[in-house]
Amino acid sequence: MSEPVILTVTDYLALVNKALAAVPRDLLVEGEVSDLRVSHGKWVSFDVKDEGAQAVLKCFMTAWQMHTPIEDGMRVRVSGRPTVSARFGKFQLNVDAVEPVGEGALKRAYELLKAKLRDEGVFDAGRKRPIPRFPERIGLITSRDAAAYGDFLRVLGNRWGGVRVDFTHVHVQGREAVPEILEAFAHFNRLPEDDRPDVLVLVRGGGGLEDLHAFNDEQVVRAVFQARIPVIVGVGHERDESLCDFAADMRASTPSNAAERAVPNRREVQAELEASAEFMAARLRQALAEKRHRTETAARGMAHALRHRRDDVARVLALLHERVGAWLPPLRERLAGMERLLKNVDPARVLARGYAIVRTADGTSAVLSSATGLVPGQAVSVQLARGSFDARVERAGTRRGQQSLV
Amino acid sequence: MSASKPKSFAKAFEELETVAQWFEQGDPDVDEGLKKFERGLELAAFCKAKLAEVENKVKDIEAKFYERP
Repeated sequence: MSEPVILTVTDYLALVNKALAAVPRDLLVEGEVSDLRVSHGKWVSFDVKDEGAQAVLKCFMTAWQMHTPIEDGMRVRVSGRPTVSARFGKFQLNVDAVEPVGEGALKRAYELLKAKLRDEGVFDAGRKRPIPRFPERIGLITSRDAAAYGDFLRVLGNRWGGVRVDFTHVHVQGREAVPEILEAFAHFNRLPEDDRPDVLVLVRGGGGLEDLHAFNDEQVVRAVFQARIPVIVGVGHERDESLCDFAADMRASTPSNAAERAVPNRREVQAELEASAEFMAARLRQALAEKRHRTETAARGMAHALRHRRDDVARVLALLHERVGAWLPPLRERLAGMERLLKNVDPARVLARGYAIVRTADGTSAVLSSATGLVPGQAVSVQLARGSFDARVERAGTRRGQQSLV
Repeated sequence: MSASKPKSFAKAFEELETVAQWFEQGDPDVDEGLKKFERGLELAAFCKAKLAEVENKVKDIEAKFYERP
């Protein structure tokens, strides 16, 4: 008989926890949630119970590990690490993952998450970015094996060409779906700005809530919301909805519709191009016609003005003729009268009667009408009707007849 | 307006829209209009040539799945 082993509580619990670590981690424990508590918005504790049976599993996890909201009465599956808490002496499951089970629980979880994200503004219309009208590069996130993949590419090719599709193959359901879709978004976000696609397209076929779980996963919804590139989401059939739809910059009703929303229809664009060229040509023709019209109007106006001027000139000329006719006879008469007058005072006519004109010969040739100032010997010039001669004053006196010429 | 060859369909179409908008103004100048019209036709021709491209290329991207915590 060996000595009993004595341990501290701490060491003993450490030993127990080591033994508990042997319990497989990938087991899923299914049961109903009760007594759910969240403290400080960080720590979440709840019980998972078997219905009817008296079996309780204490669960503990952090709020950030919980990607799907749960509530009391909800059926869930939990997985994690069983431990005995040293501080509280309590057996508990440190939960890694919790997910609702069954249509009812899923539906409820979906509604809870939807309300939470809506309150946060993740679905706000104001946050949505426009999709470029003519994308050259499209990042496609879906499964190669899904009909959605073929549908999208077929409709894309029918509508538009010259696009490069960067395709990332991901699972769209099952356990790998969420991490793979997240990684696909991370890949596109990591690209330098000038090397990014113009738009991301996330599509899959339709299905129930269970099939669409990845598209209702909080992390995936946030990845859609936070993507650095505008996102189009197209899930399933017309009536299917996922939380990714609401977070997307553009929601498409189906994968085919996602292609319709990603690229324009080449026929429509062709018609638009033609209409645009036609419009420009029409406007140009109109502008030319307007200019011609303006020029013609201006030319007509000028001709009109000229005609007007010509009439003016003619009128003035006629007036002139008329006036001249009225002025001329009196003018001629006045002229003849003046002529007569001038003839009467012509000195030549006086000389002809025997008179002479005597002028000083001192260079001024002043006509003499008085003998005053004349001195004997002074030279004078005498002009007759015919010819003239020079003379000298012999004697001068003011009395008539006293002057005598040598 | 640059008379250069457009870089992409989107750029060409955008420029064409700007040119067409210019023609919407009340009384376009004829000389300027002729230049714009010529450029517009050039852009439309470029776009039409691009429209003739039918193929879309699909390139598979291997998203690197790095370890998650």
